[in-house]
Amino acid sequence: MSTVEAIAESAAVKTAASPIVDIHQLRKSYGSNEVLKGIDLQVKPGEVIAIIGKSGSGKSTLLRCINGLEVFQSGSLSVDGQPLLHGNAAAMRELRQHVGMIFQNFNLFPHLSVGRNVMLAPGLVKKTDSAAGEAKARQLLDRVGLGEKFDAFPDQLSGGQQQRVAIARALAMEPSVLLCDEITSALDPELVGEVLRVVEALADEGMTLLMVTHEMGFARKVSDRVIFMHQGRVHEMGPPAKLFGSPETSELQQFLSSIH
Amino acid sequence: MVDFSLWDIFRNLLLAARWTVGLSLIAFIGGGLVGLALLVARTARWPGAERFVAGYVQLFQGTPLLMQLFLAYFGLALFGVDTSAWVAAAVALTLYTSAFLVEIWRGCVAAVPKGQWEAAQSLALSFGEQLRYVILPQATRIAIAPTVGFLVQVVKGTALASVIGFVELTKAGTMITNATFQPFLVYSCVALLYFALCFPVSLTARHLERKMNVNR
Repeated sequence: MSTVEAIAESAAVKTAASPIVDIHQLRKSYGSNEVLKGIDLQVKPGEVIAIIGKSGSGKSTLLRCINGLEVFQSGSLSVDGQPLLHGNAAAMRELRQHVGMIFQNFNLFPHLSVGRNVMLAPGLVKKTDSAAGEAKARQLLDRVGLGEKFDAFPDQLSGGQQQRVAIARALAMEPSVLLCDEITSALDPELVGEVLRVVEALADEGMTLLMVTHEMGFARKVSDRVIFMHQGRVHEMGPPAKLFGSPETSELQQFLSSIH
Repeated sequence: MVDFSLWDIFRNLLLAARWTVGLSLIAFIGGGLVGLALLVARTARWPGAERFVAGYVQLFQGTPLLMQLFLAYFGLALFGVDTSAWVAAAVALTLYTSAFLVEIWRGCVAAVPKGQWEAAQSLALSFGEQLRYVILPQATRIAIAPTVGFLVQVVKGTALASVIGFVELTKAGTMITNATFQPFLVYSCVALLYFALCFPVSLTARHLERKMNVNR
């Protein structure tokens, strides 16, 4: 092994060990109402994290802080070593290329075909030429099982299909981290499975995932770590078997019993 | 005394109607461009832009178009700009139109769901790209019907330019009346011509509105 390879390997080991998302003492308030009260969270590359908790516990807000959709007042947050700097358009554009997000209401662009939805951002931000962009989009749509819907419009698709397009759209930017904000909550029950299968496949392929979810069975099966949030704090955190099997705090016990 | 046939009256009015159409187009295109610039400034939250646009809209919506025409005609001359009625009318109508259009369009941009902005932001699009590729195409679909509808107001508004001596349809009507002493006949023709201009526009607006509603 040459020295160059050795250095490259040690660098790889080092990046694997250092967190891909690093959140330190993050505080966020709306007016006088503090919704995140000092969050510390380190996410390792390839880790799958499920965030659970009652509505109003700050779980969605935390997720939205990670790609700068919400502005936080104090603390620090970095993705891939890139600090989040509000008000610095170039830094935000750089950071957001590392973070994909999937929303509860899909938020596909209704005026663009499915293919164009997927191709838009790579073409504009990464300057991918249209032939390469189209090939990539077709490949991603195949991957979520919608290869034949390239020319369809979002309103011609079912909710589950729309959400899978949204996943393909986020993946087209080749993010290092994917944020999923209650992505099955707006779906009819029979459509939940098809979306979760795609997410599970992503998790198996080693994508770093942070998901806010109400699908406890799914969280238990797929995640490496579960975070229970309560009143703006990380109240309990650990491997799913431990959190769901033997919750320590009374709040988590109460939460888990309330949803069963 | 020269005798005027009905055709003479109508022919002269038709010739003058060209200027009504021309002035309407200038007001609409100029007002559209100014309105778009104000809309972008406001949507981008440039420092002071929101307050400026709000004041601008209040000013031009809160004063009669007639006063704006007078002020443009006599006011510009005060600053040493040699204004023809043509320029004054074009300027006043452009400002007036832009103040209404920016307000109509602001509502259309606000009608695009917030999630669209968020999705575009999450994909690392810059503000300009968000606006151009995601928000404005959707806002435009909503805006077409009310915008075309407002064009009718602009066409009728050009009639006021007659008071500063701009010879368009109404002014031509007055001049022909002074020569023929047949005000009822002449102004009936004038009204008919305005109707002939505005009615197709209204129909188009209604048609577009229905079409957009079906598509959504």
